[in-house]
Amino acid sequence: MIGLPAYLILGALVFSIGLFGVLTRRNAVGILLGIELMLNAVNINLVAFARFNGDVAGLVFTLFTISITVAEVAVGLAIVIAIFRVRRTVEADRLDLLRG
Amino acid sequence: MSAFTLELGLGAVMVLVFGGSLTSRGADRRWIAWLATAGILTLGIVSALVKPTPPALSGMFVLDGLAIFAKRLFLAATFIGLLAGIGADAVACGRRAGEYHLLILSSLLGMLVLASARDLILLFVAFELMSIPLYVLAGFLKGQDEAVEAALKFFLVGSVSSAVMAYGLSFVYGAARTTDLARVAQAFAPGQPLLLLGLLAVFAGFAFKIAAFPFHMWVPDTYEAASTPFVAWLSVAPKAAGFVALFRVYFEGMGDRVATWVPIAAGLAAITIVAGNLMALPQQNAKRLLAYSGIAHIGYMLVGFAAASASGTAMVLFYLVAYVFGNMGAFLVVEAVARSERSEATAALRGLAQRSPLLALAMLLFLLSLGGIPFVAGFWAKLYVFWAAAAAGLYWLVLLGAVLTVVALFYYLIVAKRMYIEAPDASAGRIRLPGTLALAVILCALVVVGLGLYPKPIVMAALRVAAPLF
Repeated sequence: MIGLPAYLILGALVFSIGLFGVLTRRNAVGILLGIELMLNAVNINLVAFARFNGDVAGLVFTLFTISITVAEVAVGLAIVIAIFRVRRTVEADRLDLLRG
Repeated sequence: MSAFTLELGLGAVMVLVFGGSLTSRGADRRWIAWLATAGILTLGIVSALVKPTPPALSGMFVLDGLAIFAKRLFLAATFIGLLAGIGADAVACGRRAGEYHLLILSSLLGMLVLASARDLILLFVAFELMSIPLYVLAGFLKGQDEAVEAALKFFLVGSVSSAVMAYGLSFVYGAARTTDLARVAQAFAPGQPLLLLGLLAVFAGFAFKIAAFPFHMWVPDTYEAASTPFVAWLSVAPKAAGFVALFRVYFEGMGDRVATWVPIAAGLAAITIVAGNLMALPQQNAKRLLAYSGIAHIGYMLVGFAAASASGTAMVLFYLVAYVFGNMGAFLVVEAVARSERSEATAALRGLAQRSPLLALAMLLFLLSLGGIPFVAGFWAKLYVFWAAAAAGLYWLVLLGAVLTVVALFYYLIVAKRMYIEAPDASAGRIRLPGTLALAVILCALVVVGLGLYPKPIVMAALRVAAPLF
């Protein structure tokens, strides 16, 4: 039987991998993937807590997080496409018009 | 009246605007802007009649004094923002007028729900409903390089902080075994590491939304690139919503344990005030200047938050009212000047007193209010916040804040000097601005002066709504 801490550690690992991706990736789509991983870590946590606390609210919370993630990533990809149309690149390093 | 009167009313306005945008043809869709503004004005009048009701949805949704106070403020800010947008060019009134207003109204709906949310799930959903339309609005001028770049930065920082916040919420839920904030507050004890960790991560998410110091990077870029009437609104309304949610999560029902947050909030307040004010000093673009000075103002509000008392909370609410009108007014004057000059540099304000004495007077009032000079709203706001912090024993923070107020005065008065002492460019004529924009500026100026001369009603109202939290 795998205990609650194992799931929390898995969640923390996935969250850290996502955060690492966000901080190191130079491609905007890669950064989006990192954010997606971070939000999936949240879902792992919520489901694990719901299972071990014997409480369905966590599962409901997970459904809401999933749908909000979808909305967020849709907006993010739309912005990336808008950037690609005017700039012909989605490398975060080249987006440096605004400074100061 | 039910607990959801304002939310349902806003939903009706959104349906009207949506229907209007489906049926309208042609490039000039100003009437949609008028429709949305009239709808918000009506809701504002309705909100004056709303009375506190018992919690709805088994305690998830509360309409108490704090929620009503906050909702009136959001509606007032949105009304002024939309009113100013009517006069603006293609952005708010062109082919995409329906989209623009629906996005603003959905974000407003998120704020209204956020002010009432007393449940982790509802809080998160409302928070995202408020945030996601803002990312779209920041990149609304999708053909412009700067606008889409600013939107991407805003989105990336925003969604990372949302993810951190959601991660924190998962621990809060797991440790407290409930999503009801009232029961989370009862379960909270400083010795519980998981719950404390969760609440700290959630705090980071809020700190991003209110743009406190280490989470402020998106602010100047987004403000510079997006359309000014929207920025005026963005710079105040989501921040007010963020503060109200902070009070709900960290103060309500916590009792004596609120002392846990004092060191964190005081530290955040101190670095935010210092960083905001110092980074504002070298700015030559008026919108960036206001962006950094806005960060400093968030720091001053966090001083009141750090007091962790009923009076501190009330004084932050008063500060929010003063900040909403002072800051929006300043942005709208910048917009009025930029429309005739095609420049948002502070240099464009040169000789404004000769080109448009009324506009210059209004800007002077806003700057004095933001700087904290007596007999305009900002003075009382700063004084009361410092007073609350001193009552809580945070003398070092009060001293730091007071010293940096002088720095802030320096850069505000440089702008005033440009308006009143320097001569305008020879080519520059009188400034003409649309009636709606002028009306918005006048409304802001009247509130700033009115609160400066007679702050008592708002202060008493704020004290009344803050008391039940403790």
